[in-house]
Amino acid sequence: MKTETDVKSQLREWISSASKKAEKIAVADDTPIIEQRIITSLQVMDLILYIEQLTDRPIDAEDLKPGTFKDINTIYKNFFEGSNDN
Amino acid sequence: MSEMAAIVDKLCRASEREYYNPYEALAWPDSVDMNEWYTTPQFISIYGTAAYEAMSEEARKKLSFFEAVNFFSLNIHGEKSLIEGLAKRLYAKDTKPVSPYLHHFLDEENKHMIYFGGFCMRYAGKVYPDRKIVFDREYARGEEDFLFFVKVMIFEEIVDFYNVKMGLDENLNPVARQINMLHHRDEARHLVFGRKLVAELFDRFSPEWDAETLAGVREYLQGYLLTTWKEYYNPAVYKDAGLNEAYELQKSAMEHPVCRAHRAEVSKSCIKFLVDHSILLDAPVL
Repeated sequence: MKTETDVKSQLREWISSASKKAEKIAVADDTPIIEQRIITSLQVMDLILYIEQLTDRPIDAEDLKPGTFKDINTIYKNFFEGSNDN
Repeated sequence: MSEMAAIVDKLCRASEREYYNPYEALAWPDSVDMNEWYTTPQFISIYGTAAYEAMSEEARKKLSFFEAVNFFSLNIHGEKSLIEGLAKRLYAKDTKPVSPYLHHFLDEENKHMIYFGGFCMRYAGKVYPDRKIVFDREYARGEEDFLFFVKVMIFEEIVDFYNVKMGLDENLNPVARQINMLHHRDEARHLVFGRKLVAELFDRFSPEWDAETLAGVREYLQGYLLTTWKEYYNPAVYKDAGLNEAYELQKSAMEHPVCRAHRAEVSKSCIKFLVDHSILLDAPVL
């Protein structure tokens, strides 16, 4: 089972490589990835697929609330917390 | 009468002539046979990959069923947001002249969802969830309407490619074939309307947009085309069909030359339209 540190590190790596922003920004766990347009709305679909792959659980976009993907801390809280041995 | 008004009038009359009851158009068997084709084999998302080659015919037919459920699910999600957007634009200032046809568009899209939902819920017991998200943001004048209708056009043109071919494929399960056929019957009108309206909105509004807005629209549409295609490669489908490493399979199929060539072929006409009208500057890599 992956730790919180492992999961956040994987998310950070995925977000950094997916970002098409010309100037690469160091993504911290509290960097607002949507607000700063590090990830676009179209890329959220890929992020959902990646989270599904990590959690092995399907995600229905219909159930998501605004702010679900605000930053790495929020993503971790929404999709991983409680399912990992920390 | 303007060209757009003449098209709206002609399409309205065609929709009135072809008005039908969606509950009488299809005979639904209680169950379906998993040993039939539901998607034309060449249109199965992983067709051409090593994983597909390794499958038995029985396994391919099972996969073709879940691919059809995904195709119909994508249509449901696409048409749900289409209906929302169309309803919002009924008698709105910039789209008032086309409102008479929007009534038919709404009616026909609702009927299509009855078929798609009927198939998915009767035979698979589910609709695959939507993964698309749109964030609220500010738009330049006309940008939101243009993006709405151009996205509808892209989505419907890709769908229609499959509807035309699969509506005629006698090797398909009859219900799956008829759904494709019925959908194409109305979509042919929607596609004519879509292209005219997209060109008209772009010509009307884009000259007012600054360079950043125009570049943003073009970048977004390139991304939208790719995202639309990614939805055809659904790991949940592969899992349901009993395939291993579903997420890896999705990624490898997206990269596979046979699959890339297929996406380019299906999107060719739509992309040509976008490039010919300077909506896109060049064809995106799909």
